[in-house]
Amino acid sequence: MKRGASARLLAALAAGSLLVAACSGDDESTDGTTAETTAETSGGETTVADTGGETTVAETTPEAEGWAVDTEACIDPDAANAPIEGEVKIGSAMPLTGGVAAAAFAPVKGGFEAYIKYANENGLLGDMTVSATIEDDQYNKDLTPGAVSKQIDAGVHLFSGIIGSPNNAAVRDTLNEECIPQLNALTGSPAWGEVEDYPWTTGILVPYTVESKVYAAQLAELYPEGATVALFYVNNEFGQVYADAFKELAADYNLEIVDEQTIEATDAAPPTSQITSIASKAPDVVMAVPLGAGCIGFLTELAAAKAQNAGWAPATFITNTCASSLILGAAGAAADGLYTSGNLKDVTAPANAEDPAVKEYLAYMESQGLSDIAATAAAGWTTAEVTVAIIKQAMESPEGLTRASIINAARNFEYTPMLAREGVVDRMNGAEDPFLAETLQVLQYDFETATFTDVGELITEFETS
Amino acid sequence: MKTAPFTIKSGGTASWAIRIAIAVVLAGLALWIPTSASNGLIDSCITALTLMACAMALNLLLGYTGQISIGHSAFFGIGAYTTGILVAQYGWSPFQTFAVAFVVAFVVGALVSLPALRIKGVYLALVTLALGLVFPQIIKWPKLEWLTGGARGLDKTGFRFTKDNPTYEIFGWNPWGTLRGENVKPFHYWIAMVIVVIVYLACRGVVKSRAGRSLVAIRDNETAAAVMGVNLAGTKALVFGLSAALCSLPGCLSAIRTGNVTPDSTNLTVAGSITFLIVMVVGGAGSLWGPIVGSVLYVFVTELTGDWSDKQAIPAVLRPLFGWSNTPPGTGIFAVLLIVLMFVAPFGIVGMYRRLQARVVTVVPKPAGTGTIAAPAAAPVEA
Repeated sequence: MKRGASARLLAALAAGSLLVAACSGDDESTDGTTAETTAETSGGETTVADTGGETTVAETTPEAEGWAVDTEACIDPDAANAPIEGEVKIGSAMPLTGGVAAAAFAPVKGGFEAYIKYANENGLLGDMTVSATIEDDQYNKDLTPGAVSKQIDAGVHLFSGIIGSPNNAAVRDTLNEECIPQLNALTGSPAWGEVEDYPWTTGILVPYTVESKVYAAQLAELYPEGATVALFYVNNEFGQVYADAFKELAADYNLEIVDEQTIEATDAAPPTSQITSIASKAPDVVMAVPLGAGCIGFLTELAAAKAQNAGWAPATFITNTCASSLILGAAGAAADGLYTSGNLKDVTAPANAEDPAVKEYLAYMESQGLSDIAATAAAGWTTAEVTVAIIKQAMESPEGLTRASIINAARNFEYTPMLAREGVVDRMNGAEDPFLAETLQVLQYDFETATFTDVGELITEFETS
Repeated sequence: MKTAPFTIKSGGTASWAIRIAIAVVLAGLALWIPTSASNGLIDSCITALTLMACAMALNLLLGYTGQISIGHSAFFGIGAYTTGILVAQYGWSPFQTFAVAFVVAFVVGALVSLPALRIKGVYLALVTLALGLVFPQIIKWPKLEWLTGGARGLDKTGFRFTKDNPTYEIFGWNPWGTLRGENVKPFHYWIAMVIVVIVYLACRGVVKSRAGRSLVAIRDNETAAAVMGVNLAGTKALVFGLSAALCSLPGCLSAIRTGNVTPDSTNLTVAGSITFLIVMVVGGAGSLWGPIVGSVLYVFVTELTGDWSDKQAIPAVLRPLFGWSNTPPGTGIFAVLLIVLMFVAPFGIVGMYRRLQARVVTVVPKPAGTGTIAAPAAAPVEA
């Protein structure tokens, strides 16, 4: 029977694919890699904390007379202004299954839930308790609305840390019309700055456009006479936003883009032909925006190309999604000397071993049996920390804790997460400054010591004062 | 040969009673969901209906005609991008885009079928796989970025109901209420339901017709079919085009439902094609009910196990089996189920049901010549 044979052959192939996807969720090395990436990126936001080793939730500034949301536009204004009592419920949607994405982001969930538990144990919200439910959307934007709806049915008061630009966009209309805060979208898309159209939606990562500007400025310092640049980026929304921003800035900083190469996010093969093309142009600088395991492949291929082209030693700038000691360690000597950026402390760096906040974080993760993901869960931890700080500020507002006061607090917010680098202060100020994290430190990686060295001063010019 | 203990005459009273009972239950369920179920359940049903339509469209091609396709995600994508482009770039109403998507996907599908005229089996599978792989690349092609939005995709591709314009009226009639926030779910549900009904009726119309018998003949023995006068080229092109066109409709809904389209969306990639295929095979290839059962089961399993990353959420009896994983095991369960089914029920759940049913009930088909066409001839005799 032809039908039966065809169906069985295809079914076997499909089953194999499913099993691979299902099993990859537990691939710890991949987990680590990706998670670190996210953490680094998200690092932009935090701060303050009293790092004295005790409780690290920072003092938040009570809401001043500033931007305030118009709840009259809500479907149910009364619900948006209704007091939240007893327990504040946070919802989220993350890829927990679905292959590579799940493997990459699993530690974010672990870090997020760990901080929520930490907040309750330490009574950070006084008499209030906080809970978090994280639904699996498989990194599939068609599943995000369902994941969010289920949580709305269950009575969540706000969402935080939804991963992925299309995933956040898929529920943005619903949450803004329902007037449910959609805080701390875990993507750096500039779209989260549309305060006018989407007042209830905020992001937590440094916008990719800001990171591009930071690198362009650094390049201008390194090459005052101008330089030739090759762009290498992952061919998805993340990479394209990044590349477009860099291309717009290039002329202003006297940078000439001589080559442009891409790689698919799902492409496991090393980018040999792309790097060969770049090497043939011998640019002064390679600006790279790979993702996850692609960071390692890019660096390895670039090192091989440099070895084959004597005399060509371009400066390499790589997005901070790759800037974890785990990823760069895996790349080995190929990562030596590259430039990147960050705003969180590297919790694995020996230099930070005695840092009170890092010690506290690592100790708590260990107490929860999460030591294996501690290095990669900082993004989730920090996202939850910022969320709790926003809730705390809303509780202290004259209106008390409501959905409206939560978004008002989020948009009139100043905070330093406990794992943030010295000097980082994240601010959001209504429509004037719709992005929370805009401070970065340019870093250079040293392979021998497996550490990052600060290059220049902390760049705070993009953050409002 | 054992005979089943019960016998039902096809077209007899008992047969009709069962059919009517099933129809009433299904209609009642279809009405209950958007009016009384939670928004989460409504959304899950929309997901199931979307998969259902895709798997039905694929079933027409693979289950009935034996033409393998691992590229139906491209047709889903054509639907999504047709709606996305026309709504976001040209300001069309989303409803107007369905017809355009249908026509575009039909033409593309018919063109893709050309290789199918000369190749079959795994070679055809590779051609369609290439289609599935190349579609996102075409969308990302820089020269088309002005139209498709490139790798960034397109935003604001759905209905945007506002306080001043809160609903969608049908010739001045508003059956929906306010279509904002979560209230829009029933509206999306009904769009999905209409798509499924259209796809089902189209598939049923083809399968139960002379054309349908041609498809089965092509599937079972192409040479014999040609000898019997079946136009192989025309039939294959038509069914490929129709299958593609039907698969584009849930793609349109995807753009409307999430308000954005991106080339890396799961259903637009080969992963989407594989999901459609799995749903169809598990439910039962070559059966009109197969994709319906398969999609409901797929969504049910993934939803049921969605929170099983928390070990406490796993029923105690199943904890030793699934407690080791820190991710929900739904996908893995479905993969194992698929493997098991291939051994015990290669024609899927519907095929297994029919086999078991045959042990209990014998359905006696209507004698030849007593169908609806023959009925008028019999009437004068009775008079």
